[in-house]
Amino acid sequence: MSTNNMSDPRRPNKVLRYKPPPSECNPALDDPTPDYMNLLGMIFSMCGLMLKWCAWVAVYCSFISFANSRSSEDTKQMMSSFMLSISAVVMSYLQNPQPMTPPW
Amino acid sequence: MKAFHTFCVVLLVFGSVSEAKFDDFEDEEDIVEYDDNDFAEFEDVMEDSVTESPQRVIITEDDEDETTVELEGQDENQEGDFEDADTQGDTESEPYDDEEFEGYEDKPDTSSSKNKDPITIVDVPAHLQNSWESYYLEILMVTGLLAYIMNYIIGKNKNSRLAQAWFNTHRELLESNFTLVGDDGTNKEATSTGKLNQENEHIYNLWCSGRVCCEGMLIQLRFLKRQDLLNVLARMMRPVSDQVQIKVTMNDEDMDTYVFAVGTRKALVRLQKEMQDLSEFCSDKPKSGAKYGLPDSLAILSEMGEVTDGMMDTKMVHFLTHYADKIESVHFSDQFSGPKIMQEEGQPLKLPDTKRTLLFTFNVPGSGNTYPKDMEALLPLMNMVIYSIDKAKKFRLNREGKQKADKNRARVEENFLKLTHVQRQEAAQSRREEKKRAEKERIMNEEDPEKQRRLEEAALRREQKKLEKKQMKMKQIKVKAM
Repeated sequence: MSTNNMSDPRRPNKVLRYKPPPSECNPALDDPTPDYMNLLGMIFSMCGLMLKWCAWVAVYCSFISFANSRSSEDTKQMMSSFMLSISAVVMSYLQNPQPMTPPW
Repeated sequence: MKAFHTFCVVLLVFGSVSEAKFDDFEDEEDIVEYDDNDFAEFEDVMEDSVTESPQRVIITEDDEDETTVELEGQDENQEGDFEDADTQGDTESEPYDDEEFEGYEDKPDTSSSKNKDPITIVDVPAHLQNSWESYYLEILMVTGLLAYIMNYIIGKNKNSRLAQAWFNTHRELLESNFTLVGDDGTNKEATSTGKLNQENEHIYNLWCSGRVCCEGMLIQLRFLKRQDLLNVLARMMRPVSDQVQIKVTMNDEDMDTYVFAVGTRKALVRLQKEMQDLSEFCSDKPKSGAKYGLPDSLAILSEMGEVTDGMMDTKMVHFLTHYADKIESVHFSDQFSGPKIMQEEGQPLKLPDTKRTLLFTFNVPGSGNTYPKDMEALLPLMNMVIYSIDKAKKFRLNREGKQKADKNRARVEENFLKLTHVQRQEAAQSRREEKKRAEKERIMNEEDPEKQRRLEEAALRREQKKLEKKQMKMKQIKVKAM
Protein backbone atom coordinates (compact mmCIF):
# COMPACT_ATOMS: atom_id res chain seq x y z
CA MET A 1 0.00 0.00 0.00
CA SER A 2 2.71 2.42 1.00
CA THR A 3 4.63 1.81 -2.23
CA ASN A 4 1.47 2.49 -4.15
CA ASN A 5 1.10 5.82 -2.37
CA MET A 6 4.71 6.62 -3.05
CA SER A 7 4.47 6.01 -6.79
CA ASP A 8 1.07 7.58 -7.17
CA PRO A 9 1.62 11.33 -7.29
CA ARG A 10 -2.07 12.13 -6.73
CA ARG A 11 -3.08 13.73 -3.45
CA PRO A 12 -6.85 14.01 -2.95
CA ASN A 13 -6.31 16.06 0.20
CA LYS A 14 -4.44 18.77 -1.73
CA VAL A 15 -7.16 19.61 -4.21
CA LEU A 16 -7.63 23.31 -4.91
CA ARG A 17 -10.67 24.71 -6.71
CA TYR A 18 -10.36 26.63 -9.95
CA LYS A 19 -10.48 30.42 -9.61
CA PRO A 20 -11.04 32.29 -12.88
CA PRO A 21 -8.33 34.93 -13.22
CA PRO A 22 -9.75 38.43 -12.85
CA SER A 23 -9.61 40.30 -16.16
CA GLU A 24 -8.50 43.50 -14.43
CA CYS A 25 -5.13 41.97 -13.73
CA ASN A 26 -4.35 41.31 -17.39
CA PRO A 27 -5.95 44.02 -19.47
CA ALA A 28 -3.23 43.71 -22.10
CA LEU A 29 -3.91 40.01 -22.58
CA ASP A 30 -7.62 40.52 -23.03
CA ASP A 31 -8.55 40.80 -26.66
CA PRO A 32 -10.12 44.25 -27.24
CA THR A 33 -11.55 43.30 -30.67
CA PRO A 34 -15.17 42.65 -29.62
CA ASP A 35 -15.39 45.96 -27.75
CA TYR A 36 -13.92 47.96 -30.62
CA MET A 37 -16.15 46.26 -33.16
CA ASN A 38 -19.19 46.90 -31.01
CA LEU A 39 -18.38 50.58 -30.82
CA LEU A 40 -17.61 50.82 -34.53
CA GLY A 41 -20.86 49.04 -35.30
CA MET A 42 -22.84 51.60 -33.36
CA ILE A 43 -21.08 54.53 -35.01
CA PHE A 44 -21.60 53.11 -38.49
CA SER A 45 -25.25 52.44 -37.66
CA MET A 46 -25.72 56.13 -36.93
CA CYS A 47 -23.98 57.09 -40.17
CA GLY A 48 -25.99 54.43 -42.00
CA LEU A 49 -29.06 56.63 -41.96
CA MET A 50 -27.25 58.95 -44.36
CA LEU A 51 -25.09 56.49 -46.30
CA LYS A 52 -26.22 53.01 -47.22
CA TRP A 53 -22.77 51.41 -47.27
CA CYS A 54 -22.24 52.56 -43.65
CA ALA A 55 -25.27 50.56 -42.60
CA TRP A 56 -23.89 47.45 -44.30
CA VAL A 57 -20.48 47.96 -42.66
CA ALA A 58 -22.29 48.22 -39.32
CA VAL A 59 -23.86 44.81 -39.89
CA TYR A 60 -20.43 43.37 -40.65
CA CYS A 61 -18.96 44.97 -37.49
CA SER A 62 -21.64 43.45 -35.30
CA PHE A 63 -21.02 40.02 -36.85
CA ILE A 64 -17.27 40.32 -36.27
CA SER A 65 -17.86 41.44 -32.69
CA PHE A 66 -20.09 38.44 -32.08
CA ALA A 67 -17.54 36.02 -33.56
CA ASN A 68 -14.75 37.36 -31.32
CA SER A 69 -16.78 37.71 -28.13
CA ARG A 70 -16.00 35.92 -24.91
CA SER A 71 -18.49 33.52 -23.40
CA SER A 72 -18.73 35.72 -20.32
CA GLU A 73 -19.71 38.67 -22.44
CA ASP A 74 -23.19 40.10 -22.05
CA THR A 75 -25.41 38.77 -24.85
CA LYS A 76 -27.80 41.70 -24.49
CA GLN A 77 -25.04 44.06 -25.61
CA MET A 78 -24.35 41.90 -28.65
CA MET A 79 -28.01 41.62 -29.56
CA SER A 80 -28.65 45.33 -29.21
CA SER A 81 -25.70 46.18 -31.45
CA PHE A 82 -26.86 43.62 -33.99
CA MET A 83 -30.47 44.86 -34.01
CA LEU A 84 -29.29 48.45 -34.31
CA SER A 85 -27.27 47.66 -37.42
CA ILE A 86 -30.14 45.70 -39.01
CA SER A 87 -32.56 48.53 -38.33
CA ALA A 88 -30.11 51.01 -39.88
CA VAL A 89 -30.06 48.95 -43.08
CA VAL A 90 -33.86 48.57 -43.16
CA MET A 91 -34.50 52.25 -42.50
CA SER A 92 -32.04 53.43 -45.12
CA TYR A 93 -33.80 51.27 -47.74
CA LEU A 94 -37.26 52.36 -46.68
CA GLN A 95 -36.15 55.95 -46.99
CA ASN A 96 -34.44 55.44 -50.34
CA PRO A 97 -35.18 52.16 -52.13
CA GLN A 98 -32.69 52.80 -54.90
CA PRO A 99 -29.83 50.36 -55.18
CA MET A 100 -26.61 51.25 -53.43
CA THR A 101 -23.96 53.09 -55.39
CA PRO A 102 -20.33 52.21 -54.65
CA PRO A 103 -18.66 54.82 -52.41
CA TRP A 104 -15.71 55.19 -54.82
CA MET B 1 -44.44 48.39 -90.05
CA LYS B 2 -46.84 51.10 -91.19
CA ALA B 3 -47.38 49.25 -94.45
CA PHE B 4 -48.20 46.10 -92.56
CA HIS B 5 -50.66 47.98 -90.39
CA THR B 6 -52.35 49.47 -93.39
CA PHE B 7 -52.46 46.10 -95.05
CA CYS B 8 -54.15 44.58 -92.04
CA VAL B 9 -56.72 47.33 -91.94
CA VAL B 10 -57.47 46.92 -95.55
CA LEU B 11 -57.72 43.16 -95.20
CA LEU B 12 -60.17 43.68 -92.39
CA VAL B 13 -62.18 46.03 -94.48
CA PHE B 14 -61.99 43.75 -97.45
CA GLY B 15 -63.05 40.87 -95.35
CA SER B 16 -66.08 42.64 -94.02
CA VAL B 17 -67.02 43.94 -97.40
CA SER B 18 -66.67 40.61 -99.07
CA GLU B 19 -68.65 39.05 -96.28
CA ALA B 20 -71.40 41.53 -96.94
CA LYS B 21 -71.23 40.80 -100.62
CA PHE B 22 -71.27 37.05 -100.09
CA ASP B 23 -74.35 37.35 -97.96
CA ASP B 24 -76.15 38.30 -101.07
CA PHE B 25 -75.36 35.00 -102.68
CA GLU B 26 -77.47 32.12 -101.76
CA ASP B 27 -75.82 29.67 -104.01
CA GLU B 28 -72.15 29.02 -104.32
CA GLU B 29 -72.46 28.95 -108.04
CA ASP B 30 -73.28 32.58 -108.11
CA ILE B 31 -69.94 33.46 -106.59
CA VAL B 32 -68.22 32.44 -109.78
CA GLU B 33 -70.30 34.86 -111.72
CA TYR B 34 -69.17 37.70 -109.60
CA ASP B 35 -67.77 40.33 -111.80
CA ASP B 36 -64.11 41.28 -111.23
CA ASN B 37 -64.92 44.83 -112.12
CA ASP B 38 -66.82 45.15 -108.93
CA PHE B 39 -63.49 44.88 -107.14
CA ALA B 40 -61.96 47.58 -109.26
CA GLU B 41 -62.54 50.25 -106.72
CA PHE B 42 -60.93 48.02 -104.07
CA GLU B 43 -57.97 47.31 -106.30
CA ASP B 44 -57.18 50.97 -106.54
CA VAL B 45 -57.66 51.41 -102.91
CA MET B 46 -55.45 48.44 -102.05
CA GLU B 47 -52.58 49.60 -104.29
CA ASP B 48 -52.65 53.06 -102.88
CA SER B 49 -53.01 52.00 -99.32
CA VAL B 50 -49.98 49.70 -99.40
CA THR B 51 -47.71 52.59 -100.29
CA GLU B 52 -49.03 55.21 -97.96
CA SER B 53 -49.13 55.91 -94.23
CA PRO B 54 -51.94 54.77 -91.93
CA GLN B 55 -55.26 56.14 -92.87
CA ARG B 56 -58.56 56.44 -91.28
CA VAL B 57 -61.17 54.10 -92.66
CA ILE B 58 -64.87 54.86 -92.79
CA ILE B 59 -67.27 52.14 -93.70
CA THR B 60 -70.65 53.38 -94.90
CA GLU B 61 -73.55 51.05 -95.44
CA ASP B 62 -75.81 52.69 -97.90
CA ASP B 63 -77.87 49.78 -99.10
CA GLU B 64 -78.47 46.33 -98.09
CA ASP B 65 -76.93 45.27 -101.28
CA GLU B 66 -73.65 46.98 -101.15
CA THR B 67 -71.25 48.44 -98.68
CA THR B 68 -69.08 51.25 -99.78
CA VAL B 69 -65.66 51.90 -98.33
CA GLU B 70 -64.46 55.45 -98.20
CA LEU B 71 -60.79 55.96 -97.41
CA GLU B 72 -59.61 59.37 -96.29
CA GLY B 73 -56.21 59.60 -97.89
CA GLN B 74 -53.36 62.09 -97.15
CA ASP B 75 -52.91 63.25 -100.70
CA GLU B 76 -55.33 65.08 -102.82
CA ASN B 77 -54.81 62.43 -105.42
CA GLN B 78 -56.02 59.98 -102.96
CA GLU B 79 -59.05 62.07 -102.36
CA GLY B 80 -59.45 62.30 -106.04
CA ASP B 81 -59.35 58.57 -106.24
CA PHE B 82 -61.83 58.45 -103.49
CA GLU B 83 -64.08 60.71 -105.40
CA ASP B 84 -63.70 58.45 -108.35
CA ALA B 85 -64.32 55.50 -106.20
CA ASP B 86 -67.29 57.18 -104.79
CA THR B 87 -68.57 57.87 -108.26
CA GLN B 88 -67.71 54.38 -109.37
CA GLY B 89 -69.32 52.92 -106.35
CA ASP B 90 -73.02 53.07 -106.27
CA THR B 91 -73.43 55.45 -103.41
CA GLU B 92 -76.75 57.03 -103.69
CA SER B 93 -76.31 59.62 -101.05
CA GLU B 94 -73.24 60.73 -99.11
CA PRO B 95 -73.83 61.20 -95.43
CA TYR B 96 -71.30 63.99 -95.21
CA ASP B 97 -71.17 67.07 -97.30
CA ASP B 98 -67.80 68.03 -98.74
CA GLU B 99 -68.19 71.47 -97.33
CA GLU B 100 -68.13 70.04 -93.91
CA PHE B 101 -64.56 68.85 -94.44
CA GLU B 102 -63.16 72.13 -95.64
CA GLY B 103 -61.31 72.92 -92.52
CA TYR B 104 -60.17 69.41 -91.95
CA GLU B 105 -57.59 69.13 -94.69
CA ASP B 106 -54.93 70.53 -92.47
CA LYS B 107 -55.61 68.17 -89.67
CA PRO B 108 -53.98 65.11 -91.24
CA ASP B 109 -51.00 67.33 -91.99
CA THR B 110 -50.67 68.49 -88.41
CA SER B 111 -51.14 64.99 -87.12
CA SER B 112 -48.48 63.77 -89.50
CA SER B 113 -46.10 66.52 -88.39
CA LYS B 114 -46.73 65.43 -84.85
CA ASN B 115 -45.94 61.92 -85.85
CA LYS B 116 -42.67 63.13 -87.33
CA ASP B 117 -41.52 64.56 -83.93
CA PRO B 118 -38.93 62.33 -82.31
CA ILE B 119 -40.22 60.24 -79.42
CA THR B 120 -38.09 60.72 -76.37
CA ILE B 121 -37.75 57.62 -74.23
CA VAL B 122 -37.40 58.55 -70.62
CA ASP B 123 -35.19 56.32 -68.45
CA VAL B 124 -37.23 54.42 -65.95
CA PRO B 125 -35.82 54.93 -62.42
CA ALA B 126 -33.80 51.97 -61.22
CA HIS B 127 -36.10 50.99 -58.38
CA LEU B 128 -39.06 50.84 -60.67
CA GLN B 129 -37.27 48.67 -63.16
CA ASN B 130 -38.09 45.45 -61.35
CA SER B 131 -34.66 44.18 -62.28
CA TRP B 132 -32.55 42.37 -59.69
CA GLU B 133 -29.37 43.12 -61.60
CA SER B 134 -29.35 46.73 -60.45
CA TYR B 135 -29.05 45.54 -56.82
CA TYR B 136 -25.77 43.75 -57.44
CA LEU B 137 -23.99 45.46 -54.53
CA GLU B 138 -26.67 44.41 -52.07
CA ILE B 139 -26.49 40.85 -53.36
CA LEU B 140 -22.73 41.00 -52.92
CA MET B 141 -23.10 42.18 -49.33
CA VAL B 142 -25.58 39.46 -48.45
CA THR B 143 -23.33 36.86 -50.07
CA GLY B 144 -20.42 38.14 -47.97
CA LEU B 145 -22.49 37.84 -44.81
CA LEU B 146 -23.53 34.32 -45.68
CA ALA B 147 -19.88 33.43 -46.33
CA TYR B 148 -18.95 34.88 -42.92
CA ILE B 149 -21.66 32.85 -41.19
CA MET B 150 -20.60 29.67 -42.96
CA ASN B 151 -16.97 30.27 -41.97
CA TYR B 152 -18.06 30.93 -38.37
CA ILE B 153 -19.83 27.58 -38.14
CA ILE B 154 -17.02 25.66 -39.82
CA GLY B 155 -14.26 27.36 -37.77
CA LYS B 156 -16.07 26.90 -34.49
CA ASN B 157 -16.61 23.21 -35.17
CA LYS B 158 -12.99 22.68 -36.19
CA ASN B 159 -11.68 24.32 -32.99
CA SER B 160 -14.05 22.25 -30.94
CA ARG B 161 -12.87 19.04 -32.60
CA LEU B 162 -9.22 19.96 -32.08
CA ALA B 163 -9.82 20.68 -28.40
CA GLN B 164 -11.65 17.41 -27.91
CA ALA B 165 -8.91 15.51 -29.72
CA TRP B 166 -6.26 17.09 -27.46
CA PHE B 167 -8.22 16.19 -24.35
CA ASN B 168 -8.84 12.62 -25.46
CA THR B 169 -5.11 12.16 -26.10
CA HIS B 170 -4.00 13.63 -22.76
CA ARG B 171 -6.82 12.49 -20.51
CA GLU B 172 -5.16 9.30 -19.33
CA LEU B 173 -1.86 10.99 -18.44
CA LEU B 174 -3.63 13.78 -16.57
CA GLU B 175 -5.91 11.46 -14.66
CA SER B 176 -2.94 9.40 -13.55
CA ASN B 177 -1.20 12.49 -12.18
CA PHE B 178 -4.01 14.64 -10.79
CA THR B 179 -7.02 13.90 -8.60
CA LEU B 180 -9.12 16.71 -10.04
CA VAL B 181 -9.14 16.93 -13.85
CA GLY B 182 -11.50 19.63 -15.10
CA ASP B 183 -13.15 22.17 -12.81
CA ASP B 184 -15.06 25.35 -13.60
CA GLY B 185 -15.24 26.57 -10.01
CA THR B 186 -19.02 26.67 -9.90
CA ASN B 187 -19.80 23.24 -8.46
CA LYS B 188 -20.26 22.92 -4.72
CA GLU B 189 -18.06 19.86 -4.47
CA ALA B 190 -14.60 19.44 -5.93
CA THR B 191 -15.40 16.75 -8.46
CA SER B 192 -13.78 16.30 -11.84
CA THR B 193 -15.99 17.56 -14.63
CA GLY B 194 -13.89 15.60 -17.08
CA LYS B 195 -14.26 18.24 -19.76
CA LEU B 196 -12.71 21.48 -20.97
CA ASN B 197 -14.08 24.91 -20.07
CA GLN B 198 -14.88 26.88 -23.18
CA GLU B 199 -13.92 30.50 -22.67
CA ASN B 200 -14.27 31.51 -26.28
CA GLU B 201 -14.81 29.99 -29.68
CA HIS B 202 -11.01 29.62 -29.82
CA ILE B 203 -9.84 29.35 -26.15
CA TYR B 204 -10.37 26.31 -23.96
CA ASN B 205 -9.23 25.90 -20.30
CA LEU B 206 -8.55 22.90 -18.15
CA TRP B 207 -7.77 23.04 -14.41
CA CYS B 208 -6.01 20.09 -12.79
CA SER B 209 -5.26 19.81 -9.11
CA GLY B 210 -4.45 17.32 -6.36
CA ARG B 211 -0.84 16.33 -6.84
CA VAL B 212 2.41 16.36 -4.90
CA CYS B 213 4.60 19.45 -5.31
CA CYS B 214 2.08 21.70 -7.00
CA GLU B 215 -1.10 23.51 -6.05
CA GLY B 216 -2.55 23.07 -9.50
CA MET B 217 -2.03 23.24 -13.24
CA LEU B 218 -3.98 25.42 -15.63
CA ILE B 219 -3.85 24.36 -19.27
CA GLN B 220 -5.04 26.82 -21.86
CA LEU B 221 -5.60 25.77 -25.48
CA ARG B 222 -5.25 28.95 -27.51
CA PHE B 223 -6.38 28.07 -30.99
CA LEU B 224 -6.46 30.38 -33.98
CA LYS B 225 -9.61 32.40 -34.58
CA ARG B 226 -10.91 30.10 -37.25
CA GLN B 227 -14.45 31.36 -36.64
CA ASP B 228 -13.55 34.91 -37.75
CA LEU B 229 -13.23 35.25 -41.53
CA LEU B 230 -11.07 38.38 -41.25
CA ASN B 231 -8.59 36.50 -39.11
CA VAL B 232 -8.58 33.61 -41.57
CA LEU B 233 -7.73 36.00 -44.40
CA ALA B 234 -5.02 37.69 -42.31
CA ARG B 235 -3.48 34.30 -41.54
CA MET B 236 -3.13 33.64 -45.26
CA MET B 237 -0.58 36.46 -45.31
CA ARG B 238 1.19 35.45 -42.09
CA PRO B 239 0.92 31.83 -40.91
CA VAL B 240 0.54 31.41 -37.14
CA SER B 241 0.34 28.27 -35.03
CA ASP B 242 -2.15 27.14 -32.44
CA GLN B 243 -0.65 27.23 -28.96
CA VAL B 244 -0.96 25.27 -25.74
CA GLN B 245 -0.05 27.26 -22.59
CA ILE B 246 0.51 25.45 -19.33
CA LYS B 247 0.88 27.22 -15.97
CA VAL B 248 1.87 25.13 -12.97
CA THR B 249 1.57 26.82 -9.58
CA MET B 250 4.09 25.27 -7.21
CA ASN B 251 3.94 25.02 -3.43
CA ASP B 252 6.26 27.45 -1.66
CA GLU B 253 8.22 24.67 0.01
CA ASP B 254 8.59 22.66 -3.19
CA MET B 255 10.58 25.12 -5.26
CA ASP B 256 13.79 27.00 -4.57
CA THR B 257 14.38 30.64 -5.40
CA TYR B 258 15.53 31.09 -8.99
CA VAL B 259 14.43 32.52 -12.33
CA PHE B 260 15.18 30.62 -15.50
CA ALA B 261 13.86 30.51 -19.09
CA VAL B 262 14.62 28.60 -22.28
CA GLY B 263 13.00 28.92 -25.68
CA THR B 264 13.23 30.44 -29.13
CA ARG B 265 15.33 33.61 -29.25
CA LYS B 266 12.42 35.71 -30.48
CA ALA B 267 10.13 34.49 -27.71
CA LEU B 268 12.75 35.11 -25.03
CA VAL B 269 13.43 38.65 -26.20
CA ARG B 270 9.71 39.39 -26.06
CA LEU B 271 9.33 37.77 -22.63
CA GLN B 272 12.29 39.67 -21.26
CA LYS B 273 10.62 42.93 -22.23
CA GLU B 274 7.16 42.02 -21.05
CA MET B 275 7.63 39.93 -17.90
CA GLN B 276 8.38 41.65 -14.60
CA ASP B 277 10.61 38.92 -13.15
CA LEU B 278 12.64 38.21 -16.28
CA SER B 279 13.39 41.90 -16.79
CA GLU B 280 14.52 42.33 -13.17
CA PHE B 281 16.45 39.12 -12.54
CA CYS B 282 17.71 38.11 -16.00
CA SER B 283 19.01 41.36 -17.39
CA ASP B 284 21.57 39.78 -19.77
CA LYS B 285 20.71 38.94 -23.36
CA PRO B 286 19.55 35.40 -24.16
CA LYS B 287 22.53 33.07 -24.52
CA SER B 288 23.00 30.17 -26.87
CA GLY B 289 22.37 26.72 -25.49
CA ALA B 290 24.90 24.99 -27.73
CA LYS B 291 27.15 24.39 -24.68
CA TYR B 292 24.50 22.05 -23.30
CA GLY B 293 23.76 20.38 -26.61
CA LEU B 294 20.68 22.41 -27.46
CA PRO B 295 19.89 23.28 -31.08
CA ASP B 296 20.71 26.77 -32.35
CA SER B 297 17.06 27.73 -32.48
CA LEU B 298 16.85 27.69 -28.66
CA ALA B 299 18.39 30.23 -26.28
CA ILE B 300 18.65 30.49 -22.46
CA LEU B 301 17.89 33.28 -19.97
CA SER B 302 19.09 32.58 -16.45
CA GLU B 303 19.58 34.37 -13.14
CA MET B 304 22.84 32.52 -12.52
CA GLY B 305 24.96 29.85 -14.14
CA GLU B 306 24.31 27.33 -11.41
CA VAL B 307 20.60 27.29 -12.23
CA THR B 308 21.31 26.58 -15.90
CA ASP B 309 23.68 23.77 -15.01
CA GLY B 310 21.16 22.30 -12.64
CA MET B 311 18.24 22.52 -15.05
CA MET B 312 19.99 21.23 -18.17
CA ASP B 313 20.29 17.58 -17.22
CA THR B 314 20.29 14.76 -19.76
CA LYS B 315 16.59 14.16 -19.83
CA MET B 316 15.68 17.82 -20.11
CA VAL B 317 18.17 18.29 -22.93
CA HIS B 318 16.68 15.25 -24.65
CA PHE B 319 13.19 16.73 -24.43
CA LEU B 320 14.35 20.14 -25.65
CA THR B 321 16.35 18.74 -28.54
CA HIS B 322 13.74 16.32 -29.84
CA TYR B 323 10.78 18.67 -29.60
CA ALA B 324 12.53 21.97 -30.32
CA ASP B 325 10.17 22.79 -33.20
CA LYS B 326 7.17 22.59 -30.88
CA ILE B 327 8.65 24.53 -27.93
CA GLU B 328 8.03 28.26 -27.85
CA SER B 329 9.20 28.94 -24.27
CA VAL B 330 9.77 27.31 -20.88
CA HIS B 331 9.87 29.67 -17.89
CA PHE B 332 10.58 28.70 -14.24
CA SER B 333 10.34 31.45 -11.64
CA ASP B 334 9.76 31.94 -7.93
CA GLN B 335 9.10 35.65 -8.52
CA PHE B 336 6.42 35.34 -11.19
CA SER B 337 3.83 38.11 -11.09
CA GLY B 338 2.72 38.28 -14.67
CA PRO B 339 3.47 40.96 -17.23
CA LYS B 340 4.64 44.44 -16.23
CA ILE B 341 1.72 46.58 -15.18
CA MET B 342 1.80 50.07 -16.68
CA GLN B 343 -0.01 52.43 -14.34
CA GLU B 344 -0.84 55.99 -15.20
CA GLU B 345 0.23 57.36 -11.83
CA GLY B 346 3.72 55.94 -12.24
CA GLN B 347 5.14 53.05 -10.28
CA PRO B 348 2.74 50.97 -8.18
CA LEU B 349 3.12 51.70 -4.48
CA LYS B 350 3.87 48.14 -3.44
CA LEU B 351 5.54 45.15 -5.00
CA PRO B 352 3.14 42.87 -6.90
CA ASP B 353 2.36 39.48 -5.38
CA THR B 354 4.58 36.68 -6.61
CA LYS B 355 3.99 32.98 -6.97
CA ARG B 356 6.32 30.09 -7.66
CA THR B 357 5.34 29.11 -11.16
CA LEU B 358 6.39 26.92 -14.07
CA LEU B 359 5.16 28.18 -17.45
CA PHE B 360 5.25 26.28 -20.73
CA THR B 361 4.21 27.49 -24.18
CA PHE B 362 4.05 24.89 -26.95
CA ASN B 363 3.23 25.33 -30.64
CA VAL B 364 0.88 22.82 -32.20
CA PRO B 365 2.45 21.37 -35.38
CA GLY B 366 0.89 22.35 -38.67
CA SER B 367 1.29 26.16 -38.62
CA GLY B 368 -2.45 26.66 -38.64
CA ASN B 369 -3.35 23.70 -40.84
CA THR B 370 -3.89 21.47 -37.85
CA TYR B 371 -5.72 18.19 -37.77
CA PRO B 372 -7.00 16.31 -34.71
CA LYS B 373 -4.34 13.65 -35.16
CA ASP B 374 -1.60 16.29 -34.71
CA MET B 375 -2.58 16.50 -31.05
CA GLU B 376 -0.89 13.18 -30.39
CA ALA B 377 2.45 14.84 -31.11
CA LEU B 378 2.00 17.00 -28.00
CA LEU B 379 1.76 14.08 -25.58
CA PRO B 380 5.56 13.80 -25.03
CA LEU B 381 5.56 17.49 -24.14
CA MET B 382 3.09 16.85 -21.34
CA ASN B 383 5.50 14.21 -20.09
CA MET B 384 8.15 16.93 -20.07
CA VAL B 385 5.88 19.11 -17.95
CA ILE B 386 5.35 16.35 -15.39
CA TYR B 387 9.07 15.69 -15.32
CA SER B 388 9.79 19.40 -14.80
CA ILE B 389 7.43 19.54 -11.83
CA ASP B 390 9.29 16.72 -10.11
CA LYS B 391 12.63 18.22 -11.10
CA ALA B 392 11.78 21.64 -9.67
CA LYS B 393 10.99 19.97 -6.36
CA LYS B 394 14.28 18.10 -6.29
CA PHE B 395 16.56 20.89 -7.49
CA ARG B 396 18.08 22.96 -4.69
CA LEU B 397 20.65 25.71 -4.88
CA ASN B 398 23.86 25.35 -2.94
CA ARG B 399 24.82 27.84 -0.27
CA GLU B 400 26.50 30.28 -2.61
CA GLY B 401 23.66 30.17 -5.06
CA LYS B 402 21.16 30.77 -2.30
CA GLN B 403 23.07 33.76 -1.00
CA LYS B 404 23.31 35.20 -4.48
CA ALA B 405 19.61 34.69 -5.04
CA ASP B 406 18.72 36.37 -1.75
CA LYS B 407 20.98 39.28 -2.57
CA ASN B 408 19.31 39.71 -5.93
CA ARG B 409 15.88 39.78 -4.39
CA ALA B 410 16.93 42.28 -1.76
CA ARG B 411 18.45 44.49 -4.46
CA VAL B 412 15.28 44.44 -6.53
CA GLU B 413 13.18 45.31 -3.51
CA GLU B 414 15.47 48.18 -2.55
CA ASN B 415 15.36 49.59 -6.08
CA PHE B 416 11.66 49.40 -6.03
CA LEU B 417 11.42 51.18 -2.70
CA LYS B 418 13.74 53.96 -3.89
CA LEU B 419 11.67 54.53 -6.98
CA THR B 420 8.49 54.67 -5.02
CA HIS B 421 9.95 56.70 -2.13
CA VAL B 422 8.58 59.98 -3.35
CA GLN B 423 5.16 58.53 -4.06
CA ARG B 424 5.06 56.84 -0.67
CA GLN B 425 6.02 60.06 1.08
CA GLU B 426 3.27 61.94 -0.66
CA ALA B 427 0.81 59.22 0.19
CA ALA B 428 1.86 59.30 3.86
CA GLN B 429 1.57 63.10 3.94
CA SER B 430 -1.89 63.04 2.49
CA ARG B 431 -2.91 60.38 5.03
CA ARG B 432 -1.63 62.57 7.91
CA GLU B 433 -3.49 65.60 6.65
CA GLU B 434 -6.63 63.58 6.33
CA LYS B 435 -6.30 62.45 9.93
CA LYS B 436 -5.82 66.03 11.16
CA ARG B 437 -8.82 67.26 9.26
CA ALA B 438 -10.98 64.47 10.64
CA GLU B 439 -9.87 65.30 14.16
CA LYS B 440 -10.58 69.01 13.74
CA GLU B 441 -13.98 68.23 12.43
CA ARG B 442 -14.65 66.04 15.42
CA ILE B 443 -13.62 68.85 17.76
CA MET B 444 -15.78 71.37 15.93
CA ASN B 445 -18.77 69.08 16.00
CA GLU B 446 -18.43 68.56 19.75
CA GLU B 447 -21.24 70.40 21.48
CA ASP B 448 -19.93 70.41 24.99
CA PRO B 449 -17.45 73.35 25.29
CA GLU B 450 -15.59 71.62 28.13
CA LYS B 451 -14.98 68.55 26.07
CA GLN B 452 -14.02 70.68 23.12
CA ARG B 453 -11.35 72.45 25.16
CA ARG B 454 -9.97 69.15 26.42
CA LEU B 455 -9.78 67.66 22.94
CA GLU B 456 -8.01 70.75 21.66
CA GLU B 457 -5.46 70.56 24.41
CA ALA B 458 -4.85 66.88 23.73
CA ALA B 459 -4.30 67.59 20.02
CA LEU B 460 -1.85 70.39 20.86
CA ARG B 461 0.10 68.13 23.19
CA ARG B 462 0.40 65.45 20.49
CA GLU B 463 1.68 68.03 18.01
CA GLN B 464 4.30 69.24 20.47
CA LYS B 465 5.50 65.72 21.19
CA LYS B 466 5.94 65.04 17.51
CA LEU B 467 7.93 68.21 17.06
CA GLU B 468 10.19 67.30 19.96
CA LYS B 469 10.80 63.83 18.53
CA LYS B 470 11.77 65.30 15.20
CA GLN B 471 14.15 67.73 16.82
CA MET B 472 15.76 64.91 18.76
CA LYS B 473 16.28 62.91 15.57
CA MET B 474 17.82 65.87 13.78
CA LYS B 475 20.22 66.35 16.71
CA GLN B 476 21.22 62.68 16.67
CA ILE B 477 21.87 62.79 12.92
CA LYS B 478 24.01 65.89 13.37
CA VAL B 479 25.99 64.23 16.16
CA LYS B 480 26.54 61.12 14.04
CA ALA B 481 27.65 63.23 11.12
CA MET B 482 30.16 64.93 13.31
